[in-house]
Amino acid sequence: MNFDLTISLADLLLLLPEILLTCWLCVLLIVDFAFPRLPKEQLAYLSVVGLVATLGCLAWFDLNHISGTLFGNMFVLDRMALFFKMFIVGATILVVLASMEYVNRFAFFRGEYYFLVVMSALGMMFMASANDLLSVFVTLEFSTFGFYVLVAYLRNDLASNEAGLKFFILGVFAAGLLAYGISLVYGETGKLVFSEMASAPATPGLMIGFLLIFAALGFKIGAVPFHSWIPDTYHGAPTPVTAFLSIAPKGAAFAILLRIFFVALATFKPMWIFLLVGVSILSMTYANIVAIAQRNIKRLLAYSGIAQIGNVLIGLAAGTKMGSDAILFYLLAYLFANIGAFTVVIAVSHAIGSDEIQDYSGLNRRSPFLAFAMLIFLLSLAGVPPLAGFIGKLYIFVAAIKEGLYTLITVGLINIVISMYYYLIVVKTMYINEPVDLSPVSISSPLKAVVYVGLAGTLLIGIYPQPFIDWVEAATLMFSHLAAPSAAVTPPIPPFGG
Amino acid sequence: MLEELTAGFPILSCILFLPLVGAAVLWLFDEEDMVRTSALTIALVELALSIFVLLRFIPESAAMQFAEHVRWIPALGISYHLGVDGISVLFVGLTAFLTVLVVVYSWDTIRHQVKLYMMCLLALETTTMGVFVSLDLILFFVFWELMLIPSYFLIKLWGGGAERHYAALKFVLYTLLGSVFMLVGIALLNINFHQWASLHHTDQVYSFDLLELLTVPIPINQQILIFWLMFMGFAFKAPVFPFHTWLPDALMEGPIGMAVVLAGLKLGTFGFMRFSIPLLPDASKSETVVTVVVVLGLCAILYGALMALIQPDFRGLLAYSSISHLGFIVVGLFALNYQGLQGSLLTMINLGFSTAGLFFIAGFLYSRQQTTHLSAFGGMAKQVPLLATFFLIIGLASIGLPGTNGFVGEFLILLGAFKAKWWFGAVAVLGVIFGAAYFLWYYERAMLGPVGKAVKDTMSDLQLREIVIAVSLSVMILWIGLYPSPFLRIMNGSVQALVDRLNHDSVAALGAPATGQGH
Repeated sequence: MNFDLTISLADLLLLLPEILLTCWLCVLLIVDFAFPRLPKEQLAYLSVVGLVATLGCLAWFDLNHISGTLFGNMFVLDRMALFFKMFIVGATILVVLASMEYVNRFAFFRGEYYFLVVMSALGMMFMASANDLLSVFVTLEFSTFGFYVLVAYLRNDLASNEAGLKFFILGVFAAGLLAYGISLVYGETGKLVFSEMASAPATPGLMIGFLLIFAALGFKIGAVPFHSWIPDTYHGAPTPVTAFLSIAPKGAAFAILLRIFFVALATFKPMWIFLLVGVSILSMTYANIVAIAQRNIKRLLAYSGIAQIGNVLIGLAAGTKMGSDAILFYLLAYLFANIGAFTVVIAVSHAIGSDEIQDYSGLNRRSPFLAFAMLIFLLSLAGVPPLAGFIGKLYIFVAAIKEGLYTLITVGLINIVISMYYYLIVVKTMYINEPVDLSPVSISSPLKAVVYVGLAGTLLIGIYPQPFIDWVEAATLMFSHLAAPSAAVTPPIPPFGG
Repeated sequence: MLEELTAGFPILSCILFLPLVGAAVLWLFDEEDMVRTSALTIALVELALSIFVLLRFIPESAAMQFAEHVRWIPALGISYHLGVDGISVLFVGLTAFLTVLVVVYSWDTIRHQVKLYMMCLLALETTTMGVFVSLDLILFFVFWELMLIPSYFLIKLWGGGAERHYAALKFVLYTLLGSVFMLVGIALLNINFHQWASLHHTDQVYSFDLLELLTVPIPINQQILIFWLMFMGFAFKAPVFPFHTWLPDALMEGPIGMAVVLAGLKLGTFGFMRFSIPLLPDASKSETVVTVVVVLGLCAILYGALMALIQPDFRGLLAYSSISHLGFIVVGLFALNYQGLQGSLLTMINLGFSTAGLFFIAGFLYSRQQTTHLSAFGGMAKQVPLLATFFLIIGLASIGLPGTNGFVGEFLILLGAFKAKWWFGAVAVLGVIFGAAYFLWYYERAMLGPVGKAVKDTMSDLQLREIVIAVSLSVMILWIGLYPSPFLRIMNGSVQALVDRLNHDSVAALGAPATGQGH
């Protein structure tokens, strides 16, 4: 393998968003050290400025169709990578805003918090562009590195420490699996770049290698049976970090999963489809059933997140262009509802100091706005029309029905009913139960802004989804060839004769 | 002339969203009387708009009138398509009418969180209207699902029974379970359209539009699969025996207003008539489907009537009599002939007056005795003659006495059932006999005979507001009973088109432009 490491200025342009953010990271660190008396809120706003500039840069790339590859195909910038980068940066902006109030709880290192959040975002932006197995490994570890620290940030809190330790040990274990899988795949094929693997013969070593890689990514997205770290980590971590963890790394991991399954392994679809169907069914069913028993809102959202990932995997199992569109769309809908829900949790926990669902009793009386926002977010997660989650679920199901995945769809639909049950329990607690304490719950303006963005996104994507659909369809044009052949493999409906 | 007057003005959209906007406006008011007055105003304006549509509606026509069509999500073939025909237009009027009555009824019976109650009620009106006027299956599904949210709150927050929390959750989960199956059916229809479209290289790739889906042939085995999937959705909602267990709970535990809407508007059976039968004519005609569904209907007639006979609680009686009536409707629908379909449609409308009316009566009784249990009644006719009189009029309509609206509908259904298979009709007739038995027996025990121990001496007869409700219902009952032809004329065209579609193997579309037919 030859690596051509001469980089021209035009090549560097492709890296502009990442370079911009890296410079901004240095600025953040310097400002934090140089002006120790600066209120940390200013640092948060400074991070947001950098992230918004990066987002603008990404949007400019997207509008001008800038694309290309770097470093011997290790790094690819296409419209799908741009979609996921914007997704990650958008999520990071919301998380930074949602953190501002929470950060005051930290005893030390309040300034470094923002640095770590933005650094993780940078790692995930690289993940979205990873185009071979080595860059998958490097970028994955890079992005996880920041999270290891962030999860354990409440250092006087035992739960946070435990969460950090669990996350770290299982994360390292996953990294080991990933490295082993990569070595097996490289040993079998002699290739690292995804697109070059497409023609490789299906040897047992290759299959085991990809299985290990899938397991490692399964840890990232938190699919059953790789989910065991999720509930405790989500529960113990600082809530803004949980919100971040519940959405951004999943998006980045799906960028990699899409490239692996739709590019490198496209020809092996009859083999992997069973794997994905199985994992999807397990994730949805297990998480939804366990979620019913949860008493803590963060744990409930953790399990609901696992179930949502099960839904996204339906789109991956469909294995078509439409499936990939649906995945991107679903993640977008999930982003707004999920960050919104966690922001409400942050606001409530700030006011009443608890994350227990029973302490949400009568939230409607104490803060009609927060209760209404939570209602909308939960209903969107449950897939009630006309909210974003409904269109997302519909999109995924239509894509899967087209491929004839009836079993998967049936399980998915039954799971919608189960999930409605526990979402309704929260709704009931907020609206029906009598509040213990009638004092109003106040909410700071950055948090309010995030909730408004979440509401706007959830409602807009639900009521007028066409522009978003156009966007995701354009982002996955690279998979257009997948539509025709796979439809022939499993014809869902006998075609009409004559 | 008419086209010019109505073309371009989106009257159905106005009808659809006026209550929702109204609900948002109510949010601004704080004073309870102000909230009540505004809610009533909105409901009355809505009723006026609906009457306008009914008056402007061209009878004896199968066409979709007042249609509005905007593309909503072209990528998935979802459009915002509204329209009414002879099947749905009467429901629009009925929904507006019942909502006005519920607002009037709730005027002094709802005492806490009046604002939220009225908002839920108006939101419920929008979603119900949406179900009736949507011509796009996803749009229809949106309203179908959204209906659950105000209903959930209505049952849970203002229900009278101790088990209302359980009832609300059961109602939502049961309906949701049915509708997720229906969603698969809808998606399959879309995929079928997609395959047909790609075979014929039409521009439209996906479609959820009822009128477009009607133009596309569907293979018979596919039709049967889709039929059963959609059946689940409608059967749970209707509810058809044996999917009915949520209904008695919801009707007995929920507030009267909710019960009126739930029992008065037959959404599930409307779904059969609007979507299942026209979209899947071959499946609806197939021997197995007809036999299974009609047998379920007959079971419902007998089971509901027998259960109603032994209910000590008046609301329980009404719940089971609703199940029995729904059995009639299902039998009439799946007799699949002109009389059966027309009778079922008319009966759906009739029950909107009679069953809903009896729920109002139950509400009147409840506000006097704080219960609807038989033990609290007895010989009340002497003290409350007006109440007893309207109770009798509406009750007789519900059991189908000649001269009331119930007779016309039930008679047509029985005629259709006998025409289809003699034993359909023979068993259904039993239901009529039981129906008379359970109502008259209950009436006798509650209103006539010796005065019950628990009956208060100071019980007052109907108040003005209650008289308004009872009189307007009685007027409608006698109008349809004695002079049904305006209503039948509105239905005729669409029912005839439906029968034609069933009887011909061609895919003659119901009110659809004749494109893409035959291939």
